[in-house]
Order: sequence, then C-alpha cells, then structure tokens
Amino acid sequence: MEQALVVEELRKNYGRYEAVKGISFSVQPGEIFALIGPNGAGKTTTLRIIATILAPSSGQVRVYNMSIGRDNEKIRQNISYLPEEAGAYKNLTGIGYLRFMADIFASDQRSRQEYVDTAVAICGLKNRLNDKIGSYSKGMTRKLLLARSIMTKPKLAILDEPTSGLDVLNALEIRQTIKEYAKAGMTVLVSSHNMLEIEYLCERVAIIDRGVIHQIGTPTELKTKYQAGNLEEVFAEVAK
Amino acid sequence: MRRFITLLKKELREQLTWQMILPFLLVVLVFLFIGNLTGKETKKALAPQKIAVLDEDRTPVSQTVIDSLTQSNFNVRTYTGITESSLVASAKNEGIATALVIPAGFEAEIAGNRSQPLTVYNIIRNFSFTGSVGNRVASQALDTINEALSNQLIAQKISGIDPLQLKKPVFPKNFVIIGARTAAVSPDQVTGFIMSQTTFLPIVMFLVIVIAAQMIAVSVAAEKENKTLETLLSTPISRTALVFAKMTAAGIVSLMIAVIYMFGFRYYMNGVTGFNAGEAFNPEMAAAIQQLGLMLDLPAYILLGISLFLSILIALAISLILGASAEDVKKAQGLVAPITFLIMIPYFLTMFIDLEGASPLLKYFVYFIPFSHPFLAAPNLFIHNYLSVIYGILYQTVFFMILVAAATRIFATDRILTLKLNFKKSGFK
Repeated sequence: MEQALVVEELRKNYGRYEAVKGISFSVQPGEIFALIGPNGAGKTTTLRIIATILAPSSGQVRVYNMSIGRDNEKIRQNISYLPEEAGAYKNLTGIGYLRFMADIFASDQRSRQEYVDTAVAICGLKNRLNDKIGSYSKGMTRKLLLARSIMTKPKLAILDEPTSGLDVLNALEIRQTIKEYAKAGMTVLVSSHNMLEIEYLCERVAIIDRGVIHQIGTPTELKTKYQAGNLEEVFAEVAK
Repeated sequence: MRRFITLLKKELREQLTWQMILPFLLVVLVFLFIGNLTGKETKKALAPQKIAVLDEDRTPVSQTVIDSLTQSNFNVRTYTGITESSLVASAKNEGIATALVIPAGFEAEIAGNRSQPLTVYNIIRNFSFTGSVGNRVASQALDTINEALSNQLIAQKISGIDPLQLKKPVFPKNFVIIGARTAAVSPDQVTGFIMSQTTFLPIVMFLVIVIAAQMIAVSVAAEKENKTLETLLSTPISRTALVFAKMTAAGIVSLMIAVIYMFGFRYYMNGVTGFNAGEAFNPEMAAAIQQLGLMLDLPAYILLGISLFLSILIALAISLILGASAEDVKKAQGLVAPITFLIMIPYFLTMFIDLEGASPLLKYFVYFIPFSHPFLAAPNLFIHNYLSVIYGILYQTVFFMILVAAATRIFATDRILTLKLNFKKSGFK
C-alpha cells in the first residue's frame, strides 16, 4: 500500500548546529501521527521540511511517493501547513482571507466557492467573518487558520501545535474537527508538546528530543512498554 | 499569472488601508492650507510697499526723492511739520515698515557735493519670510533714491550725456552655445530653466523610494513575524510571483502617494514662492529655449521615465532583500533607512560637481550608485546626449536583474527563514 509520508534518515543543519539528527518514520493514509517533544526538539524543523519550506541537509522525504526537493511543486498542491502561532493578514476580513487562500488552490470558480463554503462551515465564525482579522481573538484566528488549512481537503495536513495557547473549549473544538477530517481520509501530521492532547487525538506518536526520535508507537503501546499512566510519564522515562 | 494577480490584490488590500492613506492625505491638506496662507501673505508682501517719508527740507531735490519713490512703485505717505517720533508712531499705526527722514538743508548739502545721511526707521514686526520682504523696503528705497539723484547730478554737471551711458558704458549681449546651436539668451536664464524643469525629479524619486522601501520591507518582515509567509511558502505559489507581487503592490501604492504629495507640494511651493511657471516663461525665453533645442521630446521623456522607473524597482528589490533579512517589522524599518542616503549622495554630487571634471574615483563612485542615473539623465537629455543615458539604463537593468535573482533565490531557499542581519556582533551574519 502507498504510504502517505515516508521520512528516512532525515538530517538538518543550521550552520554547525544539527537540529535534526537522522530521524526516520512513516505515516499511513488517513492516520493522525504526532511528533511530540519539548521545545527545541526538532519538531518544527521536521514539519517545515515536509511542508517544503526548508531543504533537508540529507536524507529522504516522500509525500505520497513524491520526493521533497524534486517534486516540491506537486507536493504543495497536495498538502497544507499550519505553522505554530501563525497569524493572518490583519487588514483582510475573515471571508476575504479564505477567498484569497482558496484562489491560490482552486483551478476554477466552482472549486474556489466549494473551498470557501467548507471553511465557513468548519470555522463557525458566522457573521464575524465579515470583520477584519485584526479584531479577532486568538481562538477565532486559530479556528480560521485551521479551516483554511483543511478546506482544500489536502492529502496531508501538517499542523504545528494546532491548539497552542487556546482555552479548553476552543482546543476541544479544533481537536474534534481534525478527527472528523482524518476519518474522511485526510492524513494528519501534528506536532505538540501537550502530550495529553496528543494521547486523545493521535493513533501513533513519535517521541523526539534533541533532534532524535526515541520511540514510535501507539499511545497504548508506549504506556504499556514504560508502565506509565500517560504519555507525559512515558516521555519522562524516555528522556532519562 | 492568475496566482500573481490574486497575490497582488491581497497585497494592495493589505497596504491600501485608511490608516495608511489618512496620514498622507492629512499632510497634503496641511500643505494646501499652508500654501494658501503663505500665497496670500506673499502676494501682500510683493504688492507696492508702503513707505513713510518726513520731508523736513521741502525743496525740489526732496521732491525728486519722493517722486522717484512713487515712480518706482512705492506707496509713499509724505509728512511735513511733525517730529521724528510722531513719524514713527504714525508709521506703526498704519502698518508701515519703513520710515524715512529727509533732513532740512538736504538740497544744499547735495548741491555742495557732500553725501547725505538719510535717517531710516525699520519697524520689524516678525522674522518670517513674508515679514522679511517688508524689511527689504529700506534698501530698495535707498537704491531708488541714489539712482534718481545721481542721474540728476550727472545731467546737471555734464550736459549732453546720458547718465546711464556714463554709469554703465558696457553691457553684455549674451549668446549661449549648446552643441551646434546658438541663441541670444543669458546663461543664467538657461541654467535656471533647466533647474526648474528638473527640480521635481529628486522630490518624486525621494518620496517614491522612501515610501516604497518602507512599505515592502515592512510587508515582508510582517509576513515573517506573523508566519503568514510560511503558509504562503507551502502553497503552490511560485517564489517569483511572490517577489513580484510584493514589488508591484509597493510600487503602485507609492506612486499613488507620490502623485498626491506632488500635487500638495507644488501648491505649497507656488504659494511660498509666488512662482507660476506659465507666467515666468516669457516668449523671448521660449524662443531661445526652442532655438537651443532644450525642450524634451517624447523619446527623451520615455528614457527619463525608464531611468526613474528602474531606480524605483532597484529600491524595491533592495528593500525586499533587507525586509527578508529582518527578524521583525521594527528592524526592517531601521534596515531600509540608509537607502535614503543612497539617493541624497548622487543628488547633491550631481548638483554641485561637474562629473566630467571630477576625479575618476568620484566619477565611478557616482556611476556605481544606481540612483545617480536619473539625475544624470535629465541634463544629458536636454543636450541630446542619448547614448550616455542608454548606458545608464543598461547598467540599472543589469543591477536590477542581479537584485531580483538574489531576492528570488532568498525566497526559494531556507534563507528566507534563516537569513538575519546582525549588527551587534562581528558585522554581518
């Protein structure tokens, strides 16, 4: 079966500093896979490489059999990326922003409208979509951006800390939306340092620290292996 | 192309906000207001000047003094039989800035070939530009009086000779030669004409470049800071479209602002100087300018426009790179500030120095700065030296292409996220 994402011996150097040290993992289509670890573990660098923003120093990354570096243009048609704590254009209205992003991906007017309608339904911002994004709360902006990142029904959604800084209700809503879309077939690669959230959301996780993946498995497998009550305790054991 | 237009529309929507436009409109309104006000004041100052004269002599010579002032368009208020302090008080009451006293025995002293002091009271009310026009009345009045009295004395003492010929036996009959063309006109007039035709260049360039540079650098830095750039970089938009959409939007907005500013500034300058190009350009001067071929034709305007446009594009490309190198908006604003010096240096150097006679080092330094070429182009076009203008344009084109290649390269690689200019440690990083 075709893998959604294959990462092999991936390394990334910033000058003399090695942020990612030869990591490997794979993600199945429709799976929600998480990279978990503390700040500075190499999660964001890995996601940026998969999102075709950064070039790997060495190693292989394939998205639905398309190689990073060689097939970047094609990959960008099939993925979407939500950066951590990303903002949006403050002078655009919510609906204006969605139309702008839909224009980039849509090949015709009909698909453009389809993307916008999908995003409007996902974000639930209703009339507030006609207001400028500058007037939105953090939660509203994050919902808008999440709706933008999945409105095109990408084959692979790359979500960096999707609920970072949000209150309980907003975070819950966003997690439910991600789960729904994954059920419909969208592959999700998510990063977080909130391990309890990941336990609820993801089917498999990779624990990454200082650029190295230490463990990969389902939350249940990892908890059993380390005789831990939750993923935080697993991480504490792994990091020892 | 479709994605480029989508991006361009987004950039324009982001940049053309009321918060951005309003300060510019307010500045123009202030220009219009000051221009209107100073225009009225300047007209007042340039109108026939009032002068108060106390005639204590009451002789034909003192009357000649008063008549000469009247004939020279002074508004003379004559007093007799009052004291000097009453004269000053009257002048103050009537808003007259200059009061003159012709002393008793004035005629006799002049006839005896003895120079006479005239007491002049200068009433200074303020030190503004229009106020100082009034303060110049005294010296103009004295020149007029001296001219009239000397003519009268010469005519009395040497009969049959025109006093003017005696005072100025030689006068210039000027010819200006440019290339193979010659015209009977003063070189000062020609230089003044060329200057007046090219003054707008530095103003337009300076305004457009400063606004555009800030706009594009801030736009890129804000996208980096808000991480909207990361989102765009992961979409199917080409990096070249990204670079050109930002440059085009900044160019359009800055040109709009420049036009608004130019309108306000021109109105302001007309008000301050009282200068109107149409009125000042007399038919003799027009004929001489035509004869010398100093009118810019269509190809000349096109070449000048290209040179100006390339300067703006170069500034935009430099700012784009600087904006991409900044970590945040604040740093981006600081980084683009030195671009203004790159415009000021060639402006002043080309204004004060004849580059043909300058040292090779200075000459090539000026040529190296891409913003020098529009300043050099204007005078060259007036003398139909098209080739050097074309060389300048070619140099600017190459310079621009190198910058665009560098900017596109930065946007196409990790550098867009990792490039940082750090001046704190050992220079660039």
